[in-house]
Amino acid sequence: MIQYRFGVEGDLTAPSDDRLTVGDPRVIDFLSKLARKLLAPAVARRHPELGSLGFFLRPAELHRTVEHMRSRDALVFPRGNVFHIPPANVDTIFVYSWALSALAGNHNVVRISERSATAADTILTALNEVLADADPVIARTQRMITYGRDDKVTAALSQWADLRVIWGGDSAVEAIRKHPLRPSARDLTFPDRTSWAALSADGWRAADPAKRRAAVLGFTNDSYWFDQAACSSPRTVFLVGENTDDVRAEFVELLLSMVGERGWEIDAAMAVEKRVNAYGMAATGAISAMEFPANSVTAMSLITVPDAPRRWIGAGAFPFAEVGSLLELVPAMNRQDQTFSHFGFTSEQLREFALALGGRGVDRIVPFGQALTFGSIWDGYDLPREFTRLTTLVE
Amino acid sequence: MSVFTLPQAAKEEVLLKELSALTEHHRENCEPYSRILAASGYEPATSVAQLPWLPVRLFKNLELKSIPDDEVYKVLTSSGTTGAEVSKIYLDKAAAAEQTRKLGATVQTVLGPKRLPMILVDTKAMLKDRKSFSARGAGVLGMSNFGRNHVWALDNEGHVDVEALRGFLEQYGDEPFLIFGFTYLVWLHLYEVAKDNGLDLSNGILIHSGGWKKLVDQAVSPEEFRNRLAGVGLTKVHNYYGMIEQIGTIFLEGPNGGSLYCPDFADVVIRDPETWAEQPVGKPGLIEVISTLPTSYPGHVLLTEDLGVVHGVDDGDWPGKRFSVLGRLPRAEARGCSDTYREAA
Repeated sequence: MIQYRFGVEGDLTAPSDDRLTVGDPRVIDFLSKLARKLLAPAVARRHPELGSLGFFLRPAELHRTVEHMRSRDALVFPRGNVFHIPPANVDTIFVYSWALSALAGNHNVVRISERSATAADTILTALNEVLADADPVIARTQRMITYGRDDKVTAALSQWADLRVIWGGDSAVEAIRKHPLRPSARDLTFPDRTSWAALSADGWRAADPAKRRAAVLGFTNDSYWFDQAACSSPRTVFLVGENTDDVRAEFVELLLSMVGERGWEIDAAMAVEKRVNAYGMAATGAISAMEFPANSVTAMSLITVPDAPRRWIGAGAFPFAEVGSLLELVPAMNRQDQTFSHFGFTSEQLREFALALGGRGVDRIVPFGQALTFGSIWDGYDLPREFTRLTTLVE
Repeated sequence: MSVFTLPQAAKEEVLLKELSALTEHHRENCEPYSRILAASGYEPATSVAQLPWLPVRLFKNLELKSIPDDEVYKVLTSSGTTGAEVSKIYLDKAAAAEQTRKLGATVQTVLGPKRLPMILVDTKAMLKDRKSFSARGAGVLGMSNFGRNHVWALDNEGHVDVEALRGFLEQYGDEPFLIFGFTYLVWLHLYEVAKDNGLDLSNGILIHSGGWKKLVDQAVSPEEFRNRLAGVGLTKVHNYYGMIEQIGTIFLEGPNGGSLYCPDFADVVIRDPETWAEQPVGKPGLIEVISTLPTSYPGHVLLTEDLGVVHGVDDGDWPGKRFSVLGRLPRAEARGCSDTYREAA
């Protein structure tokens, strides 16, 4: 049973005469109007994450992205048919993924999870409102659907697609890959990721109280927005420097007060989850100390950097480890590692770290507060380029 | 003879001493446990509520035992309610014998010292099913030791064997007899059948356990369960609460119903899931179960994922705390982007 959430109903895989171009004005017009709806104060208040999405879809931003799709060496065209399988519970990813692909002129089918939350419903309402006045080509070429346990639909859309975009971790990628693509098509996959935070003790000590507060506020948003389970949410915090106990103590104290001020609540089940995981890490010798100053914050002392957990261990669960320099972290980083958020480092230190990593791990190095900010370069992919194809012409 | 004798203050004095010693014992003999205590900044307790507790789910994730491998006499496993996880509980000979002895002493409080003729509200076929055997089978087998001349209420296909029940009641129905079964099976297969066939269960003593969820779904509350059973003459009814991770310890419903009681060697603490402090009487929270029986594994103080409330202290059928189980705490779920496309998996 297919439920149509956006776009015209009908055979999703039928050949179409509609043609969009890279940066098609009809798509830009549609997305700009959508941005205005999402940036409306009432919406942004209820779902702050939709505000960031609206910002991403402003006309100036869209034109910049289209400009980025151009090539000096070739003619740029839409890739063709794109089948998106976004994650169930990060409500905005499906729009980012779809909007970039639509901007590239593709025909899109987006599978919206049955378990999608209220922010997703708000977005779908906004999409349909804008659709009412949009060029009908949008409804014919852009479809969003929900369907349950139906491998046949997944199989048919996989055969239809020139590009299949799979979000949602290793098991999602493995499950979807059981359905073959056409030989010319390919997958764009977003498997399980881990993200980290690093705090320079010297930088912290040099910062004034307002800067420290701002840093912790940014870190709080990065960590608590999706229960610390978004792939770019920081998990372990590396304290870089020497004798960092005072830095950690002040950081945790500010974190506690900030979480309280912002009203982030941790329910009993999450508090138990964190105990189970922290006790488990203590039992296996990964941590030497654990503190539970409040349900919102669990602080642990890692014994060694390689013991830093790569799996989710609960909302507001932070293993800490002290290292002498960012370079000491390099051997511990791998391909699974995505976002590395930082505070208090110099540009030179960060660049030196990035160069030492040499692309073997870590895709994004961003300041505290920007871990969840989606960019069109994500997980090491230049998405606008992934959504287009190139034709060379020698005259 | 009863194991429900100690008023709360006297009990806590005994338990604090024994459990502090057990904590030391496990600390010396179970390395993961000792690491946990060290990491949490363990200091000796000055009250029962201060004793260091372990989340019960740890027994699903870790191998926790305080005996050498060659002294493991029995490994008990729970049925995993969440995925493939099962608890593993390691017993040596002494612990296995002691848990049987203490379970016996507890049920004899309501059964008397003699073995009674017994109805098992279950099917013998279940014992052959290795999958369900671990939890349900172990419960039935364990309890069957306290009866004699057993009759199974359900045949091998799981249908009620009315003839067998009639035969049993003709032979033993005039004297006290024991009935044991899981709560929803008793409701579905004994109560209904007794009502429809006019079976006289008035000399029965029912001991039952198991989650109330299936009954709550049918809108049957513990009070209604008791009242309706009284309608078929069954007035001696004892619910109990227990878990494989504290095998041998059961918290038993008193003769007047409404509350569970702690045997002399066990206790409960209700914890506020926000502050983790002990809740006062009447305030619900997470149930911590405490028992002196776990000597071969560090399961003497466990924080469950069940919610409960203490109704009163030293003011009921038996001395000590009396409490109710309110249901399970829902599991925590991450809303992350590694949240998989489960439908297709």
